[in-house]
Amino acid sequence: MRNRKWNWRHLLCLSVFLALAGAAAAHGQSGGFTEFIYPVEKLKPTDSVPTLKVGDVAPDFTLPAVEGGKVSLRQYAGKKNVVISFVPAAWTPVCSAQWPGYNIAKGLFDKHDAILLGITVDNIPTLYAWTKQMCGPSEKLWFPVLSDFYPHGAVASKYGVLRSEGVSERALFIINKKGVITYIDVHDINERPLLDDLAKALERVNRQ
Amino acid sequence: METSKKRLIAVLFFLVALFLSGGASQGAETITSIGNPTKVNGGDHTNFPVFELPIPEHESEKSYLGLSGTGTFKIGQINAPVLLIEVFSFYCPHCQRTASQINEFYQRIQERSDLKERVKMIGIGVSNSAYEVDAYQERYRVPFPLFPDESIEISQMLGVKGTPTFIGVKADGKGTQKRFYFREGGFQDTEQFLAEIIKLSGLK
Repeated sequence: MRNRKWNWRHLLCLSVFLALAGAAAAHGQSGGFTEFIYPVEKLKPTDSVPTLKVGDVAPDFTLPAVEGGKVSLRQYAGKKNVVISFVPAAWTPVCSAQWPGYNIAKGLFDKHDAILLGITVDNIPTLYAWTKQMCGPSEKLWFPVLSDFYPHGAVASKYGVLRSEGVSERALFIINKKGVITYIDVHDINERPLLDDLAKALERVNRQ
Repeated sequence: METSKKRLIAVLFFLVALFLSGGASQGAETITSIGNPTKVNGGDHTNFPVFELPIPEHESEKSYLGLSGTGTFKIGQINAPVLLIEVFSFYCPHCQRTASQINEFYQRIQERSDLKERVKMIGIGVSNSAYEVDAYQERYRVPFPLFPDESIEISQMLGVKGTPTFIGVKADGKGTQKRFYFREGGFQDTEQFLAEIIKLSGLK
């Protein structure tokens, strides 16, 4: 009788070990963070009504930045061209593989005297954790990441890229030093915009 | 609770745990970024899929791979018995972090007169445009040829689930290539990685 009890207890211990080992293996395989990326089904490509067009003056905004403090669009007026990258949400597949590319393309932005502002509707702590894993513990993204969390999606809404489910479109805006919009790409939310297209649009920004 | 019931519960729990231990590591269908080195195997030694890549424009890259002219080429035309393919992405943070280590690995091969002509390397940028691949090459000064795989067709053919993935291909001397190595994720130690490639390719 005593032996039998030990048998099922052993089996339970072994089970816990196996479950933990499996979880550890999964963690290792996906590289520590990849498993935190939330799987998203294919979504409606775009789901918002445009409010702005090329040639319009870009609406000003002020948003809190992950690095602390606040960033306003007007602070770049006359100084820098501005690229705004709206991405739908932290910890989702395509977004998690968009800004890491921009992070190694600083040269492209510098070449055209441009700054990049990354915006999502997530709150600061979420954006802090998410952007931290993009570039390693000792580094940080070279561009400001801004939170359009409260009032929820107010800037996305002003730019006509707030979707009905409360996240923003995957959209790129280029604003020249005069504060005028020179490029808008409200992209299919399921796909990453090619860097080629942004590069071509930046080639034109100082001529517009 | 009766002992028999407890045993039944334990057995069920065991089966669930067994399933989790194996099943949890199954990757998603989409191509993701892989961090720490994880899954390595010696390849399945099956015939390597045949696909075409554009002949590089730069003379130095052409000469490195033993190619000439323009148009496309097949892996079998590369002038070395062993080829290491790195499947990467411009947008993959883990690839970015290991880029300098891979360059170092390439340099180690170049310094070894017994390996220099026998092991060649190329990179395939999954879901990347030619512009993005060029930007990656410039940013990290990648010394070996890189090719875009914008449609993901080649990466899917190669069974790639995440980046970086390293695939070792060996010519069998009869005009076909066999896969001898498949590694999902980066590597910790350059020397160890080199030793692994030499051993599994049968170069020594």
